[in-house]
Amino acid sequence: MKDVLTTCVYCGCGCGVYLHEDQGRICGAFPSRNHPVSRNNLCVKGWNIHEFIHHPARLTEPLLRKAGHLTPVSWDEALTYTATRLTEIRDQTANQGLGVLSSAKCTNEENYLLQKFTRAVLKTNNIDQCARL
Amino acid sequence: MNDHYILKKDHLNSLLRRLMKEYRLVAPTKNPHGDTLFSIIDSIEQAHIDLASQPQGSIKPFLFPQQEVLFDYEHSATIDYHFEHTPDSIPTAFFGVRSCDLSAVLYMDVIFSQKKRDPYYFEKRNEAIIISLACNEPFANCFCNATKTGPFLEYGFDLQLTDLNDRFMVETGRAKGCEIVKRFQHFFEPVEERDSKAQYQAFLEARSHFKQQVHVEQAIKRLAREPIPEEIWESLSLRCQDCGGCAYLCPTCTCFTITDLATSASSGRRIRSWDACTFSGFTRMAGGHNPINSRTHSIKQRFLHKLKYDVQEHGRPSCVGCGRCVGICFGGVDIIRFINKACGQN
Amino acid sequence: MTNSINEIAQAQVILVSGSNTTEAHPQVARRMFDAIDRGAKLIVIDPRRTRLAEHAHIHLAIRPGSDIPLLNAMMRIILDENLADDLFIEMRTENYHALRDMLYQLDLDETAEITGVPLAKISAAAQLYARAQKAVVCYCLGVTQHICGTNNVQSIANLAMLTGHVEKEFTGVDPLRGQNNVQGACDMGALPGHFPSYQPVNTAEYRTKFEQAWGTELSGTPGLSLMEMTHSGPQGAIRGMLIMGENPMLSDPNLKKVEATLKNLDLLVVSDIFLTETAALADVVFPAASFAEKTGTFTNSERRVQMVRQVIPPLGSCRSDGEIIMALSQVMGYDMRYESMAEVMEEIALLAPIYGGMFHDRIEGCWGLQWPCWNRDHAGTSFLHKYYFTRGRGHFVPATHEAAAELPDADFPFILNTGRVYHQYHTGTMTRQSSSLNREASEALLEVNPQDAARLGLRTGDWVELSSRRGSATVKAHITEQVAKGSVYTSFHFPAVAINLLTSDARDPKAQCPEYKVSAVRLEKINP
Repeated sequence: MKDVLTTCVYCGCGCGVYLHEDQGRICGAFPSRNHPVSRNNLCVKGWNIHEFIHHPARLTEPLLRKAGHLTPVSWDEALTYTATRLTEIRDQTANQGLGVLSSAKCTNEENYLLQKFTRAVLKTNNIDQCARL
Repeated sequence: MNDHYILKKDHLNSLLRRLMKEYRLVAPTKNPHGDTLFSIIDSIEQAHIDLASQPQGSIKPFLFPQQEVLFDYEHSATIDYHFEHTPDSIPTAFFGVRSCDLSAVLYMDVIFSQKKRDPYYFEKRNEAIIISLACNEPFANCFCNATKTGPFLEYGFDLQLTDLNDRFMVETGRAKGCEIVKRFQHFFEPVEERDSKAQYQAFLEARSHFKQQVHVEQAIKRLAREPIPEEIWESLSLRCQDCGGCAYLCPTCTCFTITDLATSASSGRRIRSWDACTFSGFTRMAGGHNPINSRTHSIKQRFLHKLKYDVQEHGRPSCVGCGRCVGICFGGVDIIRFINKACGQN
Repeated sequence: MTNSINEIAQAQVILVSGSNTTEAHPQVARRMFDAIDRGAKLIVIDPRRTRLAEHAHIHLAIRPGSDIPLLNAMMRIILDENLADDLFIEMRTENYHALRDMLYQLDLDETAEITGVPLAKISAAAQLYARAQKAVVCYCLGVTQHICGTNNVQSIANLAMLTGHVEKEFTGVDPLRGQNNVQGACDMGALPGHFPSYQPVNTAEYRTKFEQAWGTELSGTPGLSLMEMTHSGPQGAIRGMLIMGENPMLSDPNLKKVEATLKNLDLLVVSDIFLTETAALADVVFPAASFAEKTGTFTNSERRVQMVRQVIPPLGSCRSDGEIIMALSQVMGYDMRYESMAEVMEEIALLAPIYGGMFHDRIEGCWGLQWPCWNRDHAGTSFLHKYYFTRGRGHFVPATHEAAAELPDADFPFILNTGRVYHQYHTGTMTRQSSSLNREASEALLEVNPQDAARLGLRTGDWVELSSRRGSATVKAHITEQVAKGSVYTSFHFPAVAINLLTSDARDPKAQCPEYKVSAVRLEKINP
């Protein structure tokens, strides 16, 4: 059981929040007193941030549409299929036919990697995220 | 009558290490981010046990977690059956618990044993040893003197420590405390007269060092006598931003809600989570009707519960004067502000 | 934000425009209340009577879409009252004459008429703001989600520069970022026209730098924006999409168009933590790790780059989005192996000047660093535009009123405004799975003014068929004074009331920001 400090994922305030871990489950959240933004309190979303993490509806395996249905498959199959199809479309459309949406909920590093992937591998600048929404 | 002993500070770590062999040790710890939280100590050397700052949270989450799995269930068309959740409750020694937080545990003991004893709470509580620390120096927002839950306690602890510079005065309270003293008696020395005098002196000084003047008694009397003007409730409620932080942080707030999460069409998991009377969903009934439908009412519920209903029910307020809700509120609505307003002061 | 969040508590006048701060940015609202307790004055510009507006010393309840006339009127009054900061204008700005000429041509009474706010009230607000020593403007999507969003923002900048309310501590212009890492996503170049750190893709110098670093040729043609992609239509140029942690099937305007686009793609790949409305349409779905299962950084509204720390291993066979991209790249023959996210950050520091001094080991040991942070020795920047604007001199761009793309008429007589509620977050992928939050707000409510409600025979709890030219939804009415007569308001978090079936896809030509704050709609009571 431990408390790990991390950054809240709701809204742009960026509160410092401790996640309370017990036997592999996250069972609580707690504000940081010294953090410049959270200053010992969180909003209702921050206080309950742990609730969705272990929700039974979480996706836990890759899915591939087979005969119209999303079917669990291995990572290898999902990645190989995706890579093949992305390559085909990229080449058939002369780098014009692919679009990528990155996310304001993902980390900086992930956003960096995705735009690098889009530009260097998919050879397009068709990348955006929901900053405007 | 409690027994008194002396524990030299030089031997504190050694005693804690001995305790750790049999108990999970939980103590206020300053982490690398400068925050002091009650944490499980894995190693006395590596943990920075911090008895100088007020722990930001109480020990409530250890006895009554924010989210707790009650059991997993499964049902079919013909029979309903469920699997009881049997967590392995671990014997835990809580060290450095302040008088206010200990008083809160005593309050929870009462609340969780009304009508039917709550098995989830008591399986943890029964395995707990509480070694409390009397407060020589109250923190900025403390007012336990006004709620009569500190700074020193007479009962309720297993052991109570008083800091006398190079040594601790150790008082035994409940049986588990006496047992510890007996088992580890080579750590404890007899008390001399100067020790008792020093403890009394520390008590007197602590009482004069409170920075907050909070008229809890006066507010309780006024609440019992007459209703508080609506304007006061309105001015407070306008500022409430519904975060629930006051209830979550409060060591005596014990409301919870039950949720079933389906894991399949015929199975699921029942959890209970902290709730707060300031939430509108707290009183909303199935079908959408809400008997308490304004923010004014929920603020009223919160403060009246602490200072009026619990006085009627249990003979004492359920605010322990820890001051944690002060200064954390987004809108500046806290119990000190309320008590001041209720007593006609601003 | 040009300021830090804590600076707001020290301001003397706070002007809030188009932000439901208590619900969307509670920590910012907390600083506003602190400031009020210290004697600060609060001005709120919002068509709705929000919780914050109830605390305002002056609430300017403008007609939706009339921000520019209001700001222009305020500026004209400031000129008339001789409250402009001439020294600041002289030393730090350019193109002032253009703004002044425009303002002097303004008919104040006519302008006030457009906003629906009495001139005396506008004047009081203008003078309060202009006379303050330390004045902060906070604005949010209520300003930007209009077809004239860019001009709205420019007008706010004009007002701040006219009065010299920039470049100082406790003083400035602070856009509040709606999502936890929207700032970072932009900084990292998840934008069609820019590499990380806002380096344009069509500038050869920058492109060469990235081509060398990444060892491959790059396109210099700016790409398509989000709506150009999701609204490209069934026969559009976009044939395949890769969507990471976004849910355009709920968040984007005019959902029918989005659905038509996504359903007709040759390939849709979605990476998410839940099977969102978008993921349900996908050909491939990757199970992503949540924030508690990975390491990295987020950048908040005040440009503070902070650690996200892994608490538990990924659930099941989930992988972090970072690992998914690396694996995909590897399969596609481009080597993208990094030992850790710290190594990715090292590459960012190398290529993105404003992140030049950001390293995990540094951020780990403090409460994050605010960009620009040029190198390892740089302490970061708590407020921007000290001594000089990033672009040199502050440029005044006069703007005039532009009516919303779709105004109410006989068929669709109400203005629909959309936004968030406190207990839910964006498309609700996370919050709708949180039992405590979902209990508090589990369905969309349509806020209707009591006068309109009386006319339509509506009571709280009645079901309403809400329709626009694009679609319709059934929603529960909530009668409240919060909305003005003629306007209705609801949220976009819930798939049961996919309000973006109705919203207009008209958008600001520069920022590509859709006009979520004004769509013309019709209300019909449904009898059970």
